[in-house]
Amino acid sequence: MINTLSRIDYLASAGRTPWHRASALSKLVLAAALIALAVFAPRLTLLAVVFLAAAALALTGGMPWRLVLIAAGYPALFSGLFIASAWDGSWQSPARILLRPLGASLTAVWLVGTTPYPDLFAPLSRVLPRAIGDALFLTYRALFELMTRAERLWRSVGLRGGTSVPARQRLTLAGEGLATLVLYGFERGQRQYATMLLRGHSGRICGCRHYAEWSRADALVAAALAAVVTGAALLWGRA
Amino acid sequence: MSHLHIPDGVLPLWLWAPGLAVALIVLGLAARALRDAPRQRVAYQGALGALVLAAMAIELPLGPVDYHLSLVGPVGVLLGAAAGFEVVFVASTILAFVGHGGFTVIGLNALVLGAGAALSRPLYLALRPRLDPARAMALATACAQAVSGGLWLAVVAVALKLQPAHGTWPVSGRVALLGGIALPLFALGVAVESGVAFGLARFLARVRPDLLPGPRPVAAPGAEDAA
Repeated sequence: MINTLSRIDYLASAGRTPWHRASALSKLVLAAALIALAVFAPRLTLLAVVFLAAAALALTGGMPWRLVLIAAGYPALFSGLFIASAWDGSWQSPARILLRPLGASLTAVWLVGTTPYPDLFAPLSRVLPRAIGDALFLTYRALFELMTRAERLWRSVGLRGGTSVPARQRLTLAGEGLATLVLYGFERGQRQYATMLLRGHSGRICGCRHYAEWSRADALVAAALAAVVTGAALLWGRA
Repeated sequence: MSHLHIPDGVLPLWLWAPGLAVALIVLGLAARALRDAPRQRVAYQGALGALVLAAMAIELPLGPVDYHLSLVGPVGVLLGAAAGFEVVFVASTILAFVGHGGFTVIGLNALVLGAGAALSRPLYLALRPRLDPARAMALATACAQAVSGGLWLAVVAVALKLQPAHGTWPVSGRVALLGGIALPLFALGVAVESGVAFGLARFLARVRPDLLPGPRPVAAPGAEDAA
């Protein structure tokens, strides 16, 4: 999961496609429309169109197709139980259950793969309570560092024979290892807050400068949104 | 196994929409309860949220299966109900962005994990006068994980029961299959999480007991002399 996330995170900042140049706000609106259609669309035809639109977005977002496949395949895997339980002998029921999560997850991949996280979280932090908005930024910021430490810790535990002891001891060892990360997290939090104060932290973390800066690339997002809305209006009630 | 990996479009509207609404209300109440808490706490919460995500990503090898931790009990004990709920909401939101559980399931995920987190600190504090920190944390975590795992199981069972099948696979068969797969995982989850919580609290009690709530552990006789 983390490898996928770190690659997507890198591509979100390093990508050079028109989607990357578009504002986060317009992409959030398009993504919300596509995900709403993936969840609520009553017809298989419309679901197929949503899936194709989401796949086109993800593949033109400058991400390797394998990465798109991994990110989108995970929800498909978890739909398996529901597909099996709702199977009525036809192909339409499984297709309907599969296309919904695939359309939504491909849209999410496109969104996070073309939008750096400060711009992605900034509009969300405007509507969430202040502490939650701040926690979104701080959690994501700490994630990769803690993940690297956790991986290093696990490797060293393994190299020193920590994985060959009985299961009960292994769990206690894992807990003690995680406790070192809790300590690190606590100290890191204190350092980070002191740094934030030194930099003039006013009580709200705000990635607010860029997320609504419009550019010519937003016309492309608007065109995609118009196409999606038109397609939905035409296909919503059609059998 | 207490994070719902159910993607968007699978659960019915009447199940996820109230879940999301209730989670947002609880989130508002949690933010209100913590409005006088020191701002510094947010950075610590962020680090613990990141640790939850890191723990969920790491595979703990246990014989034939790899287990992914949720740390719901320790987070609840260390942060309390309100801050614990904020942490699991943020973790669920970030996971939704990477496709681990849909956006529509964020509310249910936060409620499932948050229920365990909310329970763990009161339990820990109730157990603490009779038990050392490690055992109190392990027991509190076992209960928290049981609650979260039970709610997880309930949501999945309801979702499966509601799937319209046309006689090919009866409801009882689906729920029995779920029980056959999920109940052993449920038991494994409770055992693993409490074992890890035991080690975590034992280490913290030795090194930074002030991070644990409740009465400070009494130092062993001669420990100060040895130090």
